[in-house]
Amino acid sequence: MTYAFILAFQSLIREKWINLLSVLTIASGLLIISLALFTVYNIDAATKNLPERFSMILYLDNDIQKEKVDAAVGILKKNHAVLSVRYIPKDEALKELKTTLKNSSYVFEGLDENPLPDAIEVKLKKDSVGQETVRKFAGEAMKIPGVKEVDYAEKFLSTLNYLRVGMKTIGLILIASLGAGIIFVCYSTVKILFYRRNEEIETFKLLGATKAFIRTPFLVEGALIGTSGGIVSLLGIFAFYYIVLLRLSVSMPIFKAILFPWDLFLVLPFVGTFLGVTGAAIAIGRLKY
Amino acid sequence: MTWADDGNNPMIHFNGVTKDYDNQTALRDITFSVEKGEMIFVTGPSGSGKTTLLKLIYFAEKPDRGTISIAGWETGQLKESSIPFLRRNIGIVFQDFRLLHNKNVFENVAMALRIRGAGEKEIKARVYETLKAVNLRHKADVFPRRLSGGEQQRVVISRAIVAEPTVILADEPTGNLDPDTAEGVMRTFKEINAKGTTVLIATHNRELFRNSGRRVIRLDMGNLVAEDRT
Ligand SMILES: Nc1ncnc2c1ncn2[C@@H]1O[C@H](COP(=O)(O)OP(=O)(O)O)[C@@H](O)[C@H]1O
Ligand SMILES: [Mg+2]
Repeated sequence: MTYAFILAFQSLIREKWINLLSVLTIASGLLIISLALFTVYNIDAATKNLPERFSMILYLDNDIQKEKVDAAVGILKKNHAVLSVRYIPKDEALKELKTTLKNSSYVFEGLDENPLPDAIEVKLKKDSVGQETVRKFAGEAMKIPGVKEVDYAEKFLSTLNYLRVGMKTIGLILIASLGAGIIFVCYSTVKILFYRRNEEIETFKLLGATKAFIRTPFLVEGALIGTSGGIVSLLGIFAFYYIVLLRLSVSMPIFKAILFPWDLFLVLPFVGTFLGVTGAAIAIGRLKY
Repeated sequence: MTWADDGNNPMIHFNGVTKDYDNQTALRDITFSVEKGEMIFVTGPSGSGKTTLLKLIYFAEKPDRGTISIAGWETGQLKESSIPFLRRNIGIVFQDFRLLHNKNVFENVAMALRIRGAGEKEIKARVYETLKAVNLRHKADVFPRRLSGGEQQRVVISRAIVAEPTVILADEPTGNLDPDTAEGVMRTFKEINAKGTTVLIATHNRELFRNSGRRVIRLDMGNLVAEDRT
């Protein structure tokens, strides 16, 4: 077993160019995977909290009576999807509008009547903020007596949904195909190494070497190549963090909001080991000896 | 796995063995036996089938007809996975040497022990002892390409005998050696044989067995034409 490591190391040094090439290929693959993961992670984190601020406005009939409003609020509060309900009388709405637009108060000049309707603001529970549930809820709300119109950012919700699902799908496809690509690189490398040592292996066999004696060094070599690729990609992602992100966040504070999942990246060498051994195992499994 | 030694079986037994390559017959209906502890020669002109005969013994080729048994084990009945273990009972001096050119003399000889899983200490002791016996102790760190033909030949012999196999198969072991070196090599084989190892030497050089009193099997174009004692 220890001799398998010696043979593997000897081969690593002897075939340094082939090995270096595949280590770099694996490292680039893992680096792209990491960056994809990093992007998906951040988009996911950034959009996760958006629905929390999501609210719906129910506009009420003109000159609606107090009892009708209370009844509507009561119905809404009973709904499981609802987090909070707030009645906004039209005077209050106008006052809010005036404070937000106080620098452009000329807008309100010559306004002798409040043009705003009474409204109810409904906040939904986070897990109820999906495109379908919101649409269903809006339909139900329309049926409440006194409700004239329901307004919510339908476009926003569907876009957000699209973005999250789309990014995750693309990320997954990218990770899966690059992962397969890396396995293939290890597979090819080990196969090349095997054929280059064909003569030597034939001699080992004639001296009485078992399959295990012959194969183990290739598994070890696949593991070493994969692990090295993983370590190089880890160094690459650290470089990306320190050189790109930290620099940028000095001049552009928005980059400070970017999350860097360290613990996720620390497994890269092990991912490399796994992919390397898998590739090597496929390679030697398909060989006659 | 070691070879059953019940005393009755010959070391090597060929029974009506024929071996065909793609379009020609290399050996035809060969029957002979080699007894345990015997030293025997296989001779014949180049292309007569000597190497093929040895390959059949060390499982590098399979017979097309007939049966071969080694120490009572019929080779046709063997499981693929037991071949490595059976091969460890055979030390082979290849006609084309098969030295590992990226390893030095020590490592080349040590390989026969490494594949058997021997420990470092044992490997050191045995390899140096064997190299000393063939007068190559001082070349242990040299790579094979830097050695003369005769020295390379002796490395191959060292590798074949270092693990003390039951049988030694030597294919043209004096192929390109000067008479003095050849004589030294033959002396080595005689010494090993004297310790009880069965030795089979394939050679086209009659000088090697003239007046040796050993049995000689003569091949010609794949046929066994004579079996006699010199
Ligand atoms: N691998 C092979 N494929 C085809 N023909 C072969 C092969 N090995 C040997 N032969 C042929 O078989 C015959 C016997 O060869 P060989 O056993 O090497 O003879 P020797 O060792 O006596 O010179 C020769 O004619 C040779 O050309
Ligand atoms: Mg020959």
